[in-house]
Amino acid sequence: MSDILTPRERFGLLVIDEKPDRCNTIPLITSHAATVKGMKLRDYYTNGENMARAQIAAIEKYGHDAISIFSEVGIIAEAMGTEFEYPENDLPIQRIPALQKQDIEEIEIPIPTSDARLPVYLDAIEYAYDALGDRIPILAYIPAPFTTGMMLSDPNKFLIQTIKEPDHVAAVMEKSLAAAIELCYHVIDVGGLPIIVDPLASSSVISPKAYQQYALPYERKLIDFLHRYDLDVILHICGDTTPIIHILPETHADLISIDRVSLADTIEKLSMKIRVIGNYDTSLLAFSSPDVIAREVKEMVKLSMNAHKGYIAATGCEVPIHAPFENVTAFINAAKENGWYWD
Amino acid sequence: MFEDLIPQKISLKEWSRQFRMLDDSQIKKYRYYTNDEWGHYLSPPATFMVYGARELRKLKFDNSLAALRLWGFTLNESERLFRARQSGKRIIATMGDLGTIPVIAMAFPDCIPFYPDCTWWTPFFNESTVLLDKASELGTPEASCFVRSTLAAFYKMAYFPKPDLLFASTGASCDDYSCIMQMVADLGYELNWLEIPYRRKLRDYHAEEKYSGTEHGFQYPERFETYLVNEYKRVWQKMQALTNIGDLEKLRESIKKNNRLRRLVDDIKNLTTEADTAPFPGLEMMVIEFGNLYGYADTDEWLDILEMIKETVTGRVKKGIGVLHSDAIPLAWVTPTADPLLLNIVEDMGGRVVATEYVINQALTEIEEDIEPFRALARSFMNASLIGSTEERIRHISENIASGRIAGVIITNMLGCSHCSMETRLIEQNLKNVPVLAIDIPAPLGITEQLKTRIAAFIEMLK
Amino acid sequence: MKLIGYACSYIPVEILSATGLQPYRLLHGDIDLSKQGERFVRVDACPMVKSNLAYAIQNADKFAALIGTTGCDMSRRMFDVLSEQTNIPVYMVNNPRTDNPAMYNDEIDWLVKQLEHFSHMKFTDEMIREEISKWEGMRAELRIIDEKRAAHPSLVSTTDFHSVMAGYHKGSFDENVTFCQNPSDRPRLYLLGSAITYEANHILQLIEENLRIVGDFNCGLSRPLHIKIEGQSIDGIKKAYYNQPPCLYKRPHQKYYDFVAMEIARLRCIGIIAWTLDYCDVHEFELQKIEKVFNLPVLRIRSDFSYQGNSQLRTRIEAFAEMLCSRI
Repeated sequence: MSDILTPRERFGLLVIDEKPDRCNTIPLITSHAATVKGMKLRDYYTNGENMARAQIAAIEKYGHDAISIFSEVGIIAEAMGTEFEYPENDLPIQRIPALQKQDIEEIEIPIPTSDARLPVYLDAIEYAYDALGDRIPILAYIPAPFTTGMMLSDPNKFLIQTIKEPDHVAAVMEKSLAAAIELCYHVIDVGGLPIIVDPLASSSVISPKAYQQYALPYERKLIDFLHRYDLDVILHICGDTTPIIHILPETHADLISIDRVSLADTIEKLSMKIRVIGNYDTSLLAFSSPDVIAREVKEMVKLSMNAHKGYIAATGCEVPIHAPFENVTAFINAAKENGWYWD
Repeated sequence: MFEDLIPQKISLKEWSRQFRMLDDSQIKKYRYYTNDEWGHYLSPPATFMVYGARELRKLKFDNSLAALRLWGFTLNESERLFRARQSGKRIIATMGDLGTIPVIAMAFPDCIPFYPDCTWWTPFFNESTVLLDKASELGTPEASCFVRSTLAAFYKMAYFPKPDLLFASTGASCDDYSCIMQMVADLGYELNWLEIPYRRKLRDYHAEEKYSGTEHGFQYPERFETYLVNEYKRVWQKMQALTNIGDLEKLRESIKKNNRLRRLVDDIKNLTTEADTAPFPGLEMMVIEFGNLYGYADTDEWLDILEMIKETVTGRVKKGIGVLHSDAIPLAWVTPTADPLLLNIVEDMGGRVVATEYVINQALTEIEEDIEPFRALARSFMNASLIGSTEERIRHISENIASGRIAGVIITNMLGCSHCSMETRLIEQNLKNVPVLAIDIPAPLGITEQLKTRIAAFIEMLK
Repeated sequence: MKLIGYACSYIPVEILSATGLQPYRLLHGDIDLSKQGERFVRVDACPMVKSNLAYAIQNADKFAALIGTTGCDMSRRMFDVLSEQTNIPVYMVNNPRTDNPAMYNDEIDWLVKQLEHFSHMKFTDEMIREEISKWEGMRAELRIIDEKRAAHPSLVSTTDFHSVMAGYHKGSFDENVTFCQNPSDRPRLYLLGSAITYEANHILQLIEENLRIVGDFNCGLSRPLHIKIEGQSIDGIKKAYYNQPPCLYKRPHQKYYDFVAMEIARLRCIGIIAWTLDYCDVHEFELQKIEKVFNLPVLRIRSDFSYQGNSQLRTRIEAFAEMLCSRI
């Protein structure tokens, strides 16, 4: 069946609790877009127009339902002083955390229009919005305060500080929150819908207790800020979130994007109140075959598409940079073909 | 706070900054359908821009809290209609009559009338040809009114929910919209067709026939009221069949409420027109005027917003302050623009809209409250802009010109629009002694520097 | 004799003729008149409306009165312009688009009163009977010609038929008109769409070089022949005119499609020509549906009456004819 709605219309209906023509299909195609465009990764994440054009190329190739402006979770931390290395064919690598050079009190809230690669982000959003914003949602991935906090620090040291220096961690959270909010203002100004990503807060990294104490409150503050704009907020936490899935509604997120957790359980626990996004295993996109992917995605969509508050067919995390095109195509086509709501 | 701000028109980005002044309790204070879960609508224009209303980046908005409510509320309408359906209300689509059928629909509990016709602004607010392309695919010609986007909206069902009842008025009305309504029927929707009679003007060579007239001087054979009364009674019967209710007293109440709306808008317009400095921008004034059609699907909340707007405007007038220069050239605007940006551009170039003829005269005039309600509605409708002669249509603008309050007239047309092509020259001829600028509204994203230059030159010439 | 102009198939010519004036249907359409009409209306007005405007204004002294209707919006407004630009008395009749016989009957009754007032005479029953007899007589003669057009093989071309019908529409039908029969076994077509104007004969000629139009639903051609007045009275007139096969602007318009489908089947047409004038909303909006509903090949011809595209049109017609022949 051919699409009746544009992705913009489709997403718009989902977030007002209406069933669109078919299930929204939004695999997390981020840096993989550079591969689609045949672009070096460094060119992708250091130039906004390049990033946008790569995303547009991915949309044209795959026909999925949103553009994802993102490269890696360190962009706010970088603007706050963390130094990165930029390999030509890989994502940025953290070298010197900001808090190794300065105290948190000395770190300033970055100016998104001028500091580090934040302007790249904004340029990418603006370019994509100008090109396709009338028909495709432009999602801008915003690192949550906890993830930014980890990127401002040596991660191991930061984890210890969560136990031994709670005041310091709180100060880092506050500043990271302020930086995220400032970035969100600018993202919204250029047409991006902020989605909050907090991969370093998953139970694969920190304990549920630490999540509740440090990550969740700041996710909620950021989401509450975005709710002042009446925006529908996606919270993405990749990795294992099984131990914290039941408390994710406390973040006030409108949509939860999950990874290594049972989709069926998530739907059972959350879907009366929150829309669920996910969660096809991205390693299978890298290594499996189109036929297997098609079959598994069909099962996944059939299981989930009638979740009470709504469902978006997606990958659990970012589509691998070098995932075979035919695999990604198989995912998207299977999700589209099997997710029809309208006759 | 907001009341201390100097009135001005600000951009979307500036509104996002100004929005920070509001605390959460103020944001949560305003809601439609008194619903606390999803009924909040006070958000800055940027919210709607994120969801695809791209032209908002280019527009300038009044910086008052009242204007913020206006924009949040009106831009939210699509969601509101879906929420209305979700909360058990009935959705009544009224097409083509521009102002009367909703008064009847509002007499029934939990019935929300709306005009799919208003989708004609969507391609412009979105800077998008999605709806127009779809309309073309469905068979509408390119050279026709932008209201053809309504057909695409009915096809997609993503801009409003499937209505419980549809009323389509045809007759002495635009051909392109009549054709579009027929195409909507061809999609499978059940339309209830209503006839609009042509308001035949009395001429001295006519045979004697009993004529009636409206307070605005429009004449017509009295029996035309009866034709309309019969049509409105059919509407009433359909509404009764839908709801199993029908209390004529409620119709009287609905008339009173709509009159309150019309008086409020009239007050705001008068305040705005008579002030030395424009207290409110022309774009917001157009939105206010069109609210008379159906209260943007929540008349109670819209009335509250208008009260706030009136208070804001009154305050500005008292202080002698406004959003435009005091030497802005007073203009009349004939036929509404589908592209809101044109209103901004005219003001940026030094113009000020003080009189309008937005083809909805029937929605601006008060409905008589002391006669039988269906007849009152019929008599009110006989003031309609497009059902009579062109000369009648622009009479009140002519009067304003004669009194020296208008320096120039802007007419906006659309290529292929049946009444535009026939009326524009006549309007120019009838508006003697005042310069007229006729503009063809281009497709979305089609406003060129050349067009802006024409507008600038026109206003410069008027200076 | 002075003329009484009108522009719609729903205006009974019998009533106009009872005034003693010559009913004259405004059906002009040529490029020169159309351009002259642009002095009064925009360029994107219907070229037939522009032509009629120019014709009526240039020949205002020939017209004693004009009777307008709410047929199509532009046609209705044409009379608005004529009121402003000339001293010709104009009277507008509401022709309901919806099924509203009460309104139509009332309006025709008032048209009668208006014309009686205007002509200072009372329309007696006898006068009406005479007019009915006269015009029914003309239509009966024309039906004979139309039947020859529809015959197998077709014996009369629509090009010739159009010339004869022009006389009827101009109120100067010559009962003694003769022309050669012109049998043809070319592919049989049905013509529908916008009006065929007096000056559009050359288009019909172009079409019938390769095809034969055996039936139509166009103003300017056979539409009046579906009027059969049975009661010899104004009531009979009203009934016959109201119940004629409905115009495409009627709402809803299913009866139009039903009638045309029936005619296509009766006439054994194997193709359709959809003729539209520029900016003719009523017909342009229906083109896609026409292509789907009748399940026949459709050739769309769009015109502003200019001759510019004629060679290209000839090629298209030839290709269409070839395609139809290959299907026989």
